[in-house]
Amino acid sequence: MSEITLTINGKQCKGKQGDTVLEVCQANGVDVPTLCHYKGLVDIAACRMCLVEVEKERKPVPACAYPARDGIVVTTNSEKIEKYRRLVLELLFTERNHLCAYCVASGDCELQSMAYKYQMDNARYQYAWPSQTTDSSHPNIVLDHNRCILCGRCIRTCDEITGAHALDFGKRGWKTNICADINQPLGESSCISCGGCFQACPTGAIFSKISAYRGRPSECTSVESTCSICGVGCSISGLVKNNRLVRIDSPDMTKPRGLLCEIGRFELLYDAADRITTPLKRNSKGKLESCSYDEAFEAIAKKLGASDAVAGLASGKASSEALKAFGELMEKLGSKLVDTLDGDDCRTITQGIAKFDGKAGLDMEARLEDILTADSIVVIGAHPIKTHPVIGSYVMRAASKNKAQLIVIDPLRNPFSFRASVWLKPPEGKKEAVINALGKSVADHLSAKASADKGKYAAAFKDADIKKAAKDLGIDIHDIVKAGEILAGSKNGVIIYGSGILQYKDAAMVTKILNLAALVGDKPRVISLKRYGNSRGAWELGLAKSKVSVAADLAKGKARGLYLLMADDLTNTQALADSMKGVEFSVVQASYRSPVTEKADVVLPSILWTESKGSYTSIDGISKKTVPMVKANPAIKSDADTLKEVAKHLKK
Amino acid sequence: MAKVKVATVWLESCAGCHMSFLDVDEFIIDLSKLVEFRRSPITDIKGFDDVTVGIVEGSVGNEEEKEVIEELRHHCKILMALGDCACFGGVCAMRNTLDKETVLKRAYIDAPSNYKGKIPVAPGVPELLDKVYPANQIVKVDCYVPGCPPEPEAIKFGLTELLAGRIPVVPSNIMRFD
Repeated sequence: MSEITLTINGKQCKGKQGDTVLEVCQANGVDVPTLCHYKGLVDIAACRMCLVEVEKERKPVPACAYPARDGIVVTTNSEKIEKYRRLVLELLFTERNHLCAYCVASGDCELQSMAYKYQMDNARYQYAWPSQTTDSSHPNIVLDHNRCILCGRCIRTCDEITGAHALDFGKRGWKTNICADINQPLGESSCISCGGCFQACPTGAIFSKISAYRGRPSECTSVESTCSICGVGCSISGLVKNNRLVRIDSPDMTKPRGLLCEIGRFELLYDAADRITTPLKRNSKGKLESCSYDEAFEAIAKKLGASDAVAGLASGKASSEALKAFGELMEKLGSKLVDTLDGDDCRTITQGIAKFDGKAGLDMEARLEDILTADSIVVIGAHPIKTHPVIGSYVMRAASKNKAQLIVIDPLRNPFSFRASVWLKPPEGKKEAVINALGKSVADHLSAKASADKGKYAAAFKDADIKKAAKDLGIDIHDIVKAGEILAGSKNGVIIYGSGILQYKDAAMVTKILNLAALVGDKPRVISLKRYGNSRGAWELGLAKSKVSVAADLAKGKARGLYLLMADDLTNTQALADSMKGVEFSVVQASYRSPVTEKADVVLPSILWTESKGSYTSIDGISKKTVPMVKANPAIKSDADTLKEVAKHLKK
Repeated sequence: MAKVKVATVWLESCAGCHMSFLDVDEFIIDLSKLVEFRRSPITDIKGFDDVTVGIVEGSVGNEEEKEVIEELRHHCKILMALGDCACFGGVCAMRNTLDKETVLKRAYIDAPSNYKGKIPVAPGVPELLDKVYPANQIVKVDCYVPGCPPEPEAIKFGLTELLAGRIPVVPSNIMRFD
């Protein structure tokens, strides 16, 4: 990249060939006001705030879209330009109904601060006062057309960062509006609710319902942490006022794992259930009653210490520190029944990998960023948009930006279906047959050299019969052939699978998927979607080493005592509570009241990850740390401390 | 030195700007030595006479308000718009996205608190204008102090500048629209 030199405001400034004038200005510390420009998005020069004068140009040009060339002379601060910018502001203010006094974004609005900057104390133009609507059909996001300046930042974020492209400009000219899909209410559109649009919105045109009027950034403190909900491990920054989370933003949406999702942005802002704030103990009448930590510890030491078959179950929602302490406690109790709630997934995946390649282990799985560079993606038995939405966004982005060929194997329609090059719809429970047929089809399409290299993987599919499979499964044979052709020609394809495969607890199926992946590209790139934010962390700590599911053993009545580390997990609590029937004495450590805590004999409170420091391992093995965003109730001990105290009391 | 004569009017607005004006604390003592308030909600003088500075709070939304601001303009040398309503239309301009008839019907007939409501037509009730206008769309305005209400600092700045013989433009750091 060759270097170029521009004269900006009489100063020599250096830039790179291919930069825009705005980029050179920013790199050289020259302030150019912008509204429609947003870091990481394609510039469209919609707002005209960044107008600059360029010598020999007939009229002012938008710096964000004007390519910098060697030797051009740019003026960014002449009186004429400043006059134009103020004029642009006045036009923006009179075009729609910008009334700061009762706008949700006041104090957090780029249009407003720009008006302050240019001392815009009145507007010289006739106000248009258009009759605009407000779309509040979405549970979390409001689209208020009154405040829109049509900068298109939401649209570009939705398309370029989220990959959903649910928003776009609708209508033409004066009537132009932001619209979702084909002008549907946002709540009924294909919006995946990631909230990128309202973070990108410079005004109050798109905002989060729950965060509205709860505090301006100037009244809040911002804390950067890592989201530990799903195991993607996105960076988040929480706005906190009066020790309450007001809003979750992404520190930088353009960075890897900077994009957030519906779960990360909104889940934390609602109270999930009743918090448990003190230890609870069952009294003589059989009711849970709050007690001191010491009483609770004594009771646990007395009962669990004496029990000979204590089971230990941990949720992958707990931090690695807590899980480690949990493991130590279980060792001290001499328990042989230790497992995680998703231990079956761990066994299926690791055994599957072991059969494919004895030594690699979970580390052979691909990085999430591999999706963005992939040229083909297979999604089988997984709904990333629901369970791990950021992975879903990555897939959609790869499909739209990278032209990755998407192969979806799912009987039901999902947001990937219409983006897919091939959508295979096997009947429920027939995924293995599809994998076999697909593997055979890929092997058939491999070049002579590739098939010689990959013979040992292709062997896994040699018995498959594509014709018969197509007939049995009711799939068009051409689809299987086409999918095979795409995958055989792919250089760095990725395969994503999740609960739809793991539910069968069949390691052979995972091995098949790995074999299929080995046929695609230079090395197998596979991503398994794990259920909890720290599932992998728990597995790596060896908590899921048990050969059989302890949760199943529990239901069969094989355990007499139980220590259940739930943290803030609220999934499947009813089923778990039902399986606790045969247990004589159970301890549950949880943040929220749930059917599980109602069954427990002693309940210990657990702090939330938003209140504590902790490490979490993402589904592709990256360890990330959380930072407390809000202060925990000082009466509640951290999970690890609680577990250590329990272990200490056992000694006596 | 003779005191500078000031008249203030309160049109379609909540009076918050006048309140904010009273919020300038001890500055009001210095000010009272320099200016004499003529017609104003503060002095309760009703009639207009010629003044140097006219201050208008509120937007123009009916015939009476239009008359008042025109008369004020006629009687003052410099007219200052005080607050968001006078500068931009403000909260009162909320009705501008609807037409007049809809607004009246909503207020006097449809609103749940009405019992057998009807739109008032009486000789003494001024007619609503089709829209609510900021001051500068009805008469010439010389300077503006926006805010809802304006910061006392900004009001103080505006008045100090006027007394010094300059046309104030509120600096960015004390300018507020909310």
